[in-house]
Amino acid sequence: MAYSEKVIDHYNNPRNMGSFKKDEDGVGTGIVGAPECGDVMKLQIKVENETIVDAKFKTFGCGSAIASSSLATEWLKGKTVDEAGQIKNTEIVQELNLPPVKIHCSVLAEDAIKAALNDYKKKADTEDVPEEAATPA
Amino acid sequence: MSEHTPLPDAGRGRDLPMARSMCWHCQSEMTGEYFCGRCVKVQPLSKELDYFTCLNLPRKLNLDEQALEETFYALSRSFHPDYYATKDESEKAISLGNTALLNTAYRTLKDPVQRAEYLIRLEAGSAKDIRTSPPADLFDEILELQEDLEEFRSLSAGESDARRQELLEKLQVERQALEARKAQMETRLREQFSRWDALPSDGAVTGQAQKDAVLTGMQEILSNRTYVKNIVNDLVAATSPTGEDGRNIWH
Repeated sequence: MAYSEKVIDHYNNPRNMGSFKKDEDGVGTGIVGAPECGDVMKLQIKVENETIVDAKFKTFGCGSAIASSSLATEWLKGKTVDEAGQIKNTEIVQELNLPPVKIHCSVLAEDAIKAALNDYKKKADTEDVPEEAATPA
Repeated sequence: MSEHTPLPDAGRGRDLPMARSMCWHCQSEMTGEYFCGRCVKVQPLSKELDYFTCLNLPRKLNLDEQALEETFYALSRSFHPDYYATKDESEKAISLGNTALLNTAYRTLKDPVQRAEYLIRLEAGSAKDIRTSPPADLFDEILELQEDLEEFRSLSAGESDARRQELLEKLQVERQALEARKAQMETRLREQFSRWDALPSDGAVTGQAQKDAVLTGMQEILSNRTYVKNIVNDLVAATSPTGEDGRNIWH
């Protein structure tokens, strides 16, 4: 099987590899896995004023999974939280020319984005609401 | 007979191993035999044929391994391309196609893990439809270990020997613990096999909910086992004295 040049490029020069502290302000963390192949992906976003100012990933898996998450972090930077939620796995497939057997890698990246956004929103919600008000009467 | 008289078998189509078909050569009607009763020509195995039916086994997970071997060898002989070398092109092609399908069926059913994954796909339409909750604790553990592994790989022998040794010992302990966990998962999978096999095989009696409970249980064990298997493989590759770093980007 041949990987596209873009996949190889992301694999050899991954963008934004690394991590933020999970409890840092404005950081959302998504950890997802693909049960079919056992790949594990961690994707984090750092949000300021509803805009993603930075994104990082760590993926332990095949070249396509690494490339998909690397590309995702590039796309996330500069997007608002709402825009980020619109990223579709099919766009990743197109950009990286993923073959059918590797489509699940792009799905994993989309799942990771969603998980990171949800984590961010959950944290933001609990921070906004004073503690007494957050507990139902 | 009136058109509306229900056939005695109505609604029990699942009992028929294969749909009715026609011999590609002499057009006589067949009910799924591998060779035409009239012109004796080999018939192409249907792509929809499930592996259990193909190998004449019930859809059980603790299967009769001897029966599997015997049926496989018997069918291999009857489909073997060597016997079709002098036949016409269509028969040659059927012999090749059948042999390929038969080999895949045999390999899949012989391996317990592949057998279970296959059964789940078969029964649930697609294994992906069964979503098991992601094991968050396991992911955290794996990510932490992978980070230690990365550090270990980055330290070349000769320098920072103390840190290297410390990491190596830690990783070897983790590897043993994870190997034990994988073995435990395989025991639990075997227990699910017996639960599945104990379900009555009549679809009317076995509720879908009962089936789904076992299938979901199996899917969960299988998924977690894949994560554990991957990290164990990485640990083995990195910590064995002769091993390359063993990362495989092509899987």
